[in-house]
Amino acid sequence: MDDAAPIISTLGLTKRYGRVAALTDLTLEVRRGEIFGFLGPNGAGKSTMIRVLLGYLHATAGSASVFGLDTERESVEIRRRCGYLPGGIALYDAQSGRDALDYLADLQGASPVRREALAERLQMSDATLRRRVRDYSRGMRQKIGVIQALQHDPQLAILDEPTEGLDPLMQHAFYAILDDLRREGRTIFFSSHVLPEVERVCDRVAIIRDGRLLALQHVGELLAHRRRRIMLRWRGTAPDLRGVPGIADVEQDGSTLRATLEGDVVPFVRAVASPSLEDLTIEPASLEEVFLDYYADEAAPPSAAGGTRVPPPKAVE
Amino acid sequence: MRHLFAQTLRWQAVKVLVVGLASLGWGLLIPFFYAQFSDVLRSLASENPLIDQFSNFGSGNLFTIGGTITLGLQHPIAIAFVAIFAVGAASLAIAGERQRGTLEVLLARPLPRNGVLLATAAALFVSVVAIFGVLVAGMVAGAAMQGLLEAVAVDQLPLVLLNGLLLWAAFLAFSLGASVSFDRAGPALGLSLAYLIVNYFLEILGSLWTDAAWLQEYSLFHHFQPGEILAGETDPLDLLILALAVAIPLGYALLRFPRRDLAAPA
Repeated sequence: MDDAAPIISTLGLTKRYGRVAALTDLTLEVRRGEIFGFLGPNGAGKSTMIRVLLGYLHATAGSASVFGLDTERESVEIRRRCGYLPGGIALYDAQSGRDALDYLADLQGASPVRREALAERLQMSDATLRRRVRDYSRGMRQKIGVIQALQHDPQLAILDEPTEGLDPLMQHAFYAILDDLRREGRTIFFSSHVLPEVERVCDRVAIIRDGRLLALQHVGELLAHRRRRIMLRWRGTAPDLRGVPGIADVEQDGSTLRATLEGDVVPFVRAVASPSLEDLTIEPASLEEVFLDYYADEAAPPSAAGGTRVPPPKAVE
Repeated sequence: MRHLFAQTLRWQAVKVLVVGLASLGWGLLIPFFYAQFSDVLRSLASENPLIDQFSNFGSGNLFTIGGTITLGLQHPIAIAFVAIFAVGAASLAIAGERQRGTLEVLLARPLPRNGVLLATAAALFVSVVAIFGVLVAGMVAGAAMQGLLEAVAVDQLPLVLLNGLLLWAAFLAFSLGASVSFDRAGPALGLSLAYLIVNYFLEILGSLWTDAAWLQEYSLFHHFQPGEILAGETDPLDLLILALAVAIPLGYALLRFPRRDLAAPA
């Protein structure tokens, strides 16, 4: 397979359940070696997309390929080269953690070369792995889920809500594992609705709503074009900033001024650079705001430069 | 696929051992009942037509060793033993995994769905062979212990085994067909049990009520005739009907399972 070829590619992918559309005309590409975030609230179609990619579901229209292989006809070969962590993973309760991992590695037909390292980083000791899965907490089951998905060093890991149930310490250990995988050129398809973690680990994100793609951009690009809230306090009367490029929603209360700033900060900084400036706060843009913007206003999703832009969806149900 | 087959067998192993022991006990008892009670029952039946009628349970009776073996293998106890695997475990094989969510992890491996289905079916069929084989072996051993072995056509036993295994393979195939059709264990188990019970009801009703004897033809149990086979009267049509009863639901399962949409478990 050509190194430049996308690892995952969908074209007009549509999945309907009767009259209900779970995915509509979804076109995207995931590149080799990137961590790709797939964002959307519950029911947006994230799991449906993953299930089509892995052959659990059959597309109603359009096409999808992974490693250039057709998801309908070649899903076995796709799964041979993938690691998959399902959302809310269920394991065989009667097995020990180690037996479960051995069994799944045997079925995978690949040696679990990463298991020991993963277990160490996720603090799953030998003693813990010897215990039966039925005695595990939710977090421990999730750790086993992460290990089984990555233990055979797959070229592509598809992770559905991977940090669900992990404590903050383990979440950070997991992020470090992802960083290592990225450095080693592995590709991660990462579905989540936990926005800070997507912002923390992903290179590019796709945002979907009601099964339609709303945006597909680098995280940095998405954030660069977001409105940031600013607040400044002035000695005396605050200057009139209404003419400054990117400034909007100005509210003035005596010496305190609140506004939003979009785009380049230089004109704004030049306009307020004065000995009379007492305090200045610029809140960093967060993916959460981007996300909420997309979801708050169905009629007019916010504009952003570059990336895929898709008209707002119509209700499908 | 051999790992899935072996693991499924391992998960059944304890059940097979326990049910196998119980089956052996049941098998040993049947010739004992025949040796102890057949003469008494025969004289009672000759005096009372009602007892004569009710002595014909299913396709079996207590008047010949062949009939007794048939009765023993068609008795609800023997049926329960084999049905634990052919109906219970088979109907839960896919639907139960779906309901628990473990099918997700299984199908994330590079396994074709029909491979999963066939490996599971093969492991369950091995369990059925073990239980049914122990039942028959118990009866042969029991006949030997009662000094009745000469009355048993031992050379016909392979055909008895084939007939019985085809019967249970038919129920297993139907249960697998139900299992791949539902996302929850309850409906799959319910439908499979209903199929077993309706077949059994038709056979027993027809055997106890002369006017309803025609119903027996519609029961799979009626095509399981160890007594006739041991008497050297094998009807190939019985084997053919049972083979069809295996092939049709198995074919359905093999067509249906790969084409099913497996949405995320609730």
